[in-house]
Amino acid sequence: MENINRKLKVRVWRGTQGDGTFSTYEVPAQESQTILDVVTWIQQYAEPTLAYRFACRVGMCGSCAMNVNGIPRWTCRTHVQKVLEDGELEIAPLRNLPVVKDLVTDMSEFFDKWVGAEGRFHPSATRDDEIAAISPADPKRANANAAIECINCAVCYSACDTIAQNPAYFGPAALNRAWTLQNDERDTAFKSRLETISGRGGCTNCHSHQSCMTYCPNELNPTESIAGLKRMTTRSFLFGGR
Amino acid sequence: MFERHDTDVLIIGAGGAGLFSALHAKKAAPDLKVTIAVKGLLGKCGCTRMVQGGYNVALGKGDSVERHFMDTIIGGKWLPHQAMAWRLCEQAVVRVRELENEIGCFFDRMPDGSLHQKAFAGQTYDRTVHKGDLTGIEIINRLMEQVLSRDVEKLEEHRALAFIKSKSGDELAGVLFVDMRRGVFRFVRAKSVLMATGGGPTMYRYHTPSGDKSMDGLAMASRLGLPLRDMEMVQFHPTGLLGGEGTRMTGTVLEEGLRGAGGHLLDGNGRRFMFDYDEKGERATRDIVSRAIYDEMRKGHTTPNGGVYIAMSHLGPEDVRKRFKGMVKRCADCGFDLAGGRVEVVPTAHYLMGGVICDPDTRTEIPGLHVAGEDAGGAHGSNRLGGNGVANSTVYGGISGDVMAADVTARGDQSLSGLRDPDEDAIKFEIDRALHPFMKKPGDVHALRRQLMDLMWDDVGVMRTSEGLQRGMDRLKDVRAELLETGLADSETRYNMTWHDWLNLRSLVEMSQVIASAGMWRENSRGAHFREDFPDSGDLESSYFTVARFDETGDLAISREPVDFSIVKPGETLLKDEPETLVGQSN
Repeated sequence: MENINRKLKVRVWRGTQGDGTFSTYEVPAQESQTILDVVTWIQQYAEPTLAYRFACRVGMCGSCAMNVNGIPRWTCRTHVQKVLEDGELEIAPLRNLPVVKDLVTDMSEFFDKWVGAEGRFHPSATRDDEIAAISPADPKRANANAAIECINCAVCYSACDTIAQNPAYFGPAALNRAWTLQNDERDTAFKSRLETISGRGGCTNCHSHQSCMTYCPNELNPTESIAGLKRMTTRSFLFGGR
Repeated sequence: MFERHDTDVLIIGAGGAGLFSALHAKKAAPDLKVTIAVKGLLGKCGCTRMVQGGYNVALGKGDSVERHFMDTIIGGKWLPHQAMAWRLCEQAVVRVRELENEIGCFFDRMPDGSLHQKAFAGQTYDRTVHKGDLTGIEIINRLMEQVLSRDVEKLEEHRALAFIKSKSGDELAGVLFVDMRRGVFRFVRAKSVLMATGGGPTMYRYHTPSGDKSMDGLAMASRLGLPLRDMEMVQFHPTGLLGGEGTRMTGTVLEEGLRGAGGHLLDGNGRRFMFDYDEKGERATRDIVSRAIYDEMRKGHTTPNGGVYIAMSHLGPEDVRKRFKGMVKRCADCGFDLAGGRVEVVPTAHYLMGGVICDPDTRTEIPGLHVAGEDAGGAHGSNRLGGNGVANSTVYGGISGDVMAADVTARGDQSLSGLRDPDEDAIKFEIDRALHPFMKKPGDVHALRRQLMDLMWDDVGVMRTSEGLQRGMDRLKDVRAELLETGLADSETRYNMTWHDWLNLRSLVEMSQVIASAGMWRENSRGAHFREDFPDSGDLESSYFTVARFDETGDLAISREPVDFSIVKPGETLLKDEPETLVGQSN
């Protein structure tokens, strides 16, 4: 097992967007220890003004994602042993989002694009109606179910090279949500959403680098969802409708 | 010194209650300016998102609002505010249809396409609607999308510091915040305010709520002199993950279903102990299992980190991996093998049944101030049924939005349809109060937080006695005094988490005092509250609830109020000529 006195050498980004530097800290290693625990230790024992963000502590809220040794991850669910390189860690804020301070990013544009890609339900029924009977085996529902468990942590958004090149691109999470709605038979915005997601910022920007799929902590496959949207777009172009 | 901001409807909190309130207020009165202020990010912080189990709702097929209501009253050991419990059960039916049909949630289905409703502890019908074991994520994601795409102002990473009354002192004028990112104070004036910050008993060594929770709302309300009820009622979940000192994941819930499926609880020597306490073994109710584990821990029969083990491997690791995929993965990510090995667990503080006294329209004593969700007391009495938490926050959140919109647009009621000038001295006082730690010599606020969590766990926790509670209150005084002399190492106010840790701790210390005092006043054992020196439940007909209130000098007074059995009396039932339970007969 671990040497009890072992220290981790941790480099942490301090500062704001483009104006900051990495500071190095020695953090005692523990048997059970996540990256969030390491960051917390630094705030509590070494650097009281270190800024980071977390809420649920167990991979449900998607608040605490950071770049750890160059890879975007949920820090609350990443065990140190899994990512340690020669006893060292480098922790930085997520890429592709403005930095508020230290490890905290401004996620506004991520959510603006979620809404921009029509990532919300447009109802066909009201609270006075019975709940629709929909078989879970229905192929469209199965498509939606396969992609629905996104917690909007922006790991995919940070991993996406296309966004890095083209800031107008909606990104994998927003389009993945749009895909689930295009497969939701209760939704009434199929056509307008299709226009949105096939337009500027839409699915045709994706080059299928698959970083979103590679790094999604929930093992979702936004690349496949975006491919589905591309097929819908093509079909719509060829046949002038659904 | 501080910024000023005006709105019509101000909502504090962005969980199920806050988001529903905004949607309803906007729908009822689209021209109103609606503002949500939240301590974290909209939709991300708070605990609705963390709901695993599901949503209790009576959707017919033999089930009824009456049956759901009786389960809630009996589960709450006859302490619930009956009119609130009734409205909860009745409106849950509307709210769950709203969630599916208007908000866009998709809950699990049966093969025939109808909603799947699962069995949940303490209920006589399989009525819990769910989305796998991640129901809260589905509900909050969908609500969040709807709110973000509407004309609702959001003030994210705004920490509420104090309610500010009007100059005349008899109404609410607004709320003082600090914009945590910029470190700037901001007074938001509003015609109507909803407090939906969501309780959250994080003053215990082991706790489940998210890191942002620190009972700020309740602390603010109590400093305004509002009465709080049932504050001794802290629900413990029996199986929180135990990862050792300094681990954030410690205390988070390993789901109830593990015990239901046949999981074993073992002491530090690997001995199964639950049958020493209850003939149902590990399948006994939450409170019994929590007390049994606590007892084993007190006897020193513990694991290396001071808890007990949960073991699943005798059920076949492959099966466990399949059946509890999410839990197995969560444990694996943190370095534990739930499917094939043993995982250390402890009871963990989960939910506060107590809260601000309000009526079934979410109104408090102070005109213009409403409360909904975990901050509101009454609906659950002494014990909350699994699946009634998210039902409560969404039902009453929606009601608050309807009521606030109506109040603000009512021309006849001048007192509520206009903005009110604040007591400026109160704003200045509160700003100074928030800046207090910057004036003091640097100290270790985290060590004090650990002291608080230890004393609450040891003396005001799962099992209580008069001596323990007294000792707890004495230790609380020490922590409080030390906190007020503990300063911050740096004058930085922008995103200074250690400052917020300090402010969190002050709220928690204040509410801990209330929990301990109310616990002392309840000289019987009901629901979540267990007194070793008064183990009996007491006479049901003369049931009382505790009321805690701070007076103007800051002294806390506790009283007992009789429960009003306005709908059903102990010994009676609303279910005439119906079987006691229908579990397993639905679907």
